[in-house]
Amino acid sequence: MSDEIRRHNEDLASLDKDYATRYGFQDPVNYFHKGARGINHEVVEMISRMKKEPAWMTELRHAALDIFTAKPIPKWGNSELLSEIDFENIYYFMKPIEHQQSNWDNVPEYIKKTFDRLGIPEAERKFLGGVSAQYESEVVYHSMREDLKKQGIIFLDMDSGLREHPDLVKKYFGTVISTADNKFAALNTAVWSGGSLIYVPPGIDVKVPLQAYFRINAENMGQFERTLIIADKGSRVHYIEGCTAPVYSTDSLHTAVVEVIALEDSYIRYTTIQNWSRNIFNLVTKRASVYGNATVEWVDGNLGSRLSMKYPCIQLMGEGARGEILSVAFAGKDQHQDAGAKVIHVAPNTSSRIRSKSVSKDNGRASYRGLVKVHKNAANTKVSVECDALLIGEDARSDTYPTMEVDNDQVKVEHEARVSKVAEEQLFYLTSRGLTEDDARLLIVNGFMEPFTKELPLEYAVELNRLIELEMEGSIG
Amino acid sequence: MSRSSQKTDTTSEYLIPESAPELLRGPKWLRDARERSRRDFNKSPVPPRGLHLWRYTDPATFLIPHDGPPDSTPDDGVQSSEGPVSEHLEKDSTGRLVHDVGGRDIELHGADALTSRGVVVCRLSEAVDRHRKLVEQYLYQLINSRSGKFEAQNSALWNNGIFIFVPDSVRVAEPIHLLREAGRSGSTQFHRLLIVVGRNAELTVVDEYFGGDDSDRNTSHANSAVEIFGLQESRVRYVSLQRYAHRMNSYLTHRATLERGATMLTVPLDFGGAVSKHNYGVSLVGEGAESNIIGLLFASGRQHFDNHTRHHHAASRTQSNIDFKTVLRDKSTSAYTGLIRIENEAKGCEAYQENRNLLLNRGVRAEVIPELEILNEDVSCTHGATIGPIDPLTIFYLKSRGIEQEAAVRMIVAGFVDSTLKRLPSDVAERVAGFAHRRLEGL
Repeated sequence: MSDEIRRHNEDLASLDKDYATRYGFQDPVNYFHKGARGINHEVVEMISRMKKEPAWMTELRHAALDIFTAKPIPKWGNSELLSEIDFENIYYFMKPIEHQQSNWDNVPEYIKKTFDRLGIPEAERKFLGGVSAQYESEVVYHSMREDLKKQGIIFLDMDSGLREHPDLVKKYFGTVISTADNKFAALNTAVWSGGSLIYVPPGIDVKVPLQAYFRINAENMGQFERTLIIADKGSRVHYIEGCTAPVYSTDSLHTAVVEVIALEDSYIRYTTIQNWSRNIFNLVTKRASVYGNATVEWVDGNLGSRLSMKYPCIQLMGEGARGEILSVAFAGKDQHQDAGAKVIHVAPNTSSRIRSKSVSKDNGRASYRGLVKVHKNAANTKVSVECDALLIGEDARSDTYPTMEVDNDQVKVEHEARVSKVAEEQLFYLTSRGLTEDDARLLIVNGFMEPFTKELPLEYAVELNRLIELEMEGSIG
Repeated sequence: MSRSSQKTDTTSEYLIPESAPELLRGPKWLRDARERSRRDFNKSPVPPRGLHLWRYTDPATFLIPHDGPPDSTPDDGVQSSEGPVSEHLEKDSTGRLVHDVGGRDIELHGADALTSRGVVVCRLSEAVDRHRKLVEQYLYQLINSRSGKFEAQNSALWNNGIFIFVPDSVRVAEPIHLLREAGRSGSTQFHRLLIVVGRNAELTVVDEYFGGDDSDRNTSHANSAVEIFGLQESRVRYVSLQRYAHRMNSYLTHRATLERGATMLTVPLDFGGAVSKHNYGVSLVGEGAESNIIGLLFASGRQHFDNHTRHHHAASRTQSNIDFKTVLRDKSTSAYTGLIRIENEAKGCEAYQENRNLLLNRGVRAEVIPELEILNEDVSCTHGATIGPIDPLTIFYLKSRGIEQEAAVRMIVAGFVDSTLKRLPSDVAERVAGFAHRRLEGL
């Protein structure tokens, strides 16, 4: 047992030791286009013009900017940190290269090297059906396996998506998350750029995952990707996204909007491994509408960023719809992971399950903020919510803020939460078997995270374990 | 309850006028505190609906025009309901009785027997003079003009207050029973209760709120504040029983603080009223203190209950436990928000919270927000909540044994309720069981 762990640790020891060297490097870049700091209607106009968008999108963007300006910063959550965001100091649009590529050889060397270091081309070769790599505001590399294209599957970056499938985009864009949903959704709608458009035709099972990788390179950059996924009747798809950024002394902003639509009998899994550097504000709105007998699963891992506010939402709109949210957060030094989940039961005979796992270490703060709402007509619904928090270190903080609103008597809602530290007995048991205390603690944390890691494709699970290892280093204070 | 109201805080009729007679009662330090509270109430805005803890109840429900009937005028229309009082006296089951008669007077029964041991049970307005040091030291420490708009209102206008003091090492065996009767229809009362339990002393208080109007006359209001101090190693049991008539809106803030080694049992029981918003908070400020809250709510008709509990662990090795049960029928609604907060310096704490909601028919509504704020690692903390109907399989089982549907439902609800009653001290449980079971008969 212990040998195995030692071997495992030796493997890990060969890895770079910290975020700065592994992900935190920065490229010197000559941008094709780098706008000025700050946001106004001119910036919005410029983005829309450069993208040669239809008039309805340009109008939508301008209207969204007015909503963004009018809405106050949320007063709940970590409003103290939120108010530190200087919206005038952010770059809202940076275009790294003129044209998107579908062959890594044609991607500029420095960008290719970045994604090489992050292991994207390798992952693509090994197990992915399609890859989209976004660098600052735009997708620089995009490709999908030929056989998937032939099945009629659409997997494009959102800009190309709007150009090539304007009707599809117009039909669904902003229907799950309206512009006025919240301040940051409005901001995204005003200045969105990049992201993915996925459409899976009826009955098609996309057997290999599609992936998007988001990279912020510049300081004070704002990345506003917009993703829309539509699974038509009876289809299945798994989408994975990952994100990193260099370490700077001043903050960058990542504000995405992700809309997911699962039509009857379809299945969508959306996996996120968020590992932004600790100078990124990560304020993301993600919501799925799930129709009759369809299933949506959010698998959401939050390791990076300074402050994340992210509550993936599932609206169960059709009878027999099912939703599952697995949310994992690791809050290290100076981080606040304000993560959570929302489930809205609109139709009868729907079921949902939320599992939240969080680790708070040093002075890190992990919050679970959740909402379960059962509407009047949603009879025979089942909801289970489970929150587990592990605290490591005297100054670690964990919060749980679940809200349950039930408007129907034919329901079964269950909520459970536990907060604890690494149990002395477990540590004692493992150390008595010859493990060092560090090893024992790592083993316990890995075990705690297992329900999440086992949901990931193998390569990601290995990567996640490495990330946890890095976070846990020197955890005995 | 959720309907928006036209009332706004800018309307002067809701302001406390400088000339309010209550402001002139008591010695200077008290008059100053009342005046401060008046100003804080007048200048603080009505809490916006979106605000945490106000999401489910319209704050305007508790805005009361100041030109309403003064609470202390005798009411010709309604006789004081002597029933409950004489019933208690006859049975002598409670030993000591304090009857707050619709805001007109406070009658003390059997309190003399305690005075020889130094126990004080008296009107707060008298205690202000007779036990000045104690009252000045403790009153307004937990609930004052800065606690919130309605707390400021109570702090300015409280009229019929009760003061209970138990000296160090004195054990009051029998419960002290407070009967707090609501005034005539359209009236408003500002109850205040201050309890100080000395070191290693013991006290049980049953705080019973009743009365008000069942008829369609104007709704009556009560705004109550309860401050309880459990000094080192003391043992306190506080039962709050709300069985108002249907035309009654009740706002109550309860704050208790426990010193080293003190233990407290708090039992909120909600049966009556139209709209009740009750907020119970216990702070564990001394090492090893322990607090239990066991609550039961039984709602029917169009009743609306909005309860908060707050367990605040500010010292090491403190323990807390909450079990709050809700039964809803007809078109009633309930919102329950329970917060457990463990401070960074409070090591080795244990905290538990359980909230179960039983929905007896379509049309009811239950909101549950169990919150945790844990600021250090050395804790053990769990909470659980369930919302659901009676398990149809259980009904099926009982029916298969020849029990009729209605009886089966009654049995199951009785079981749900009895598991709470069983955890109460037997003397209190007996009395509460009466109310609970009367509600069950209506099922």
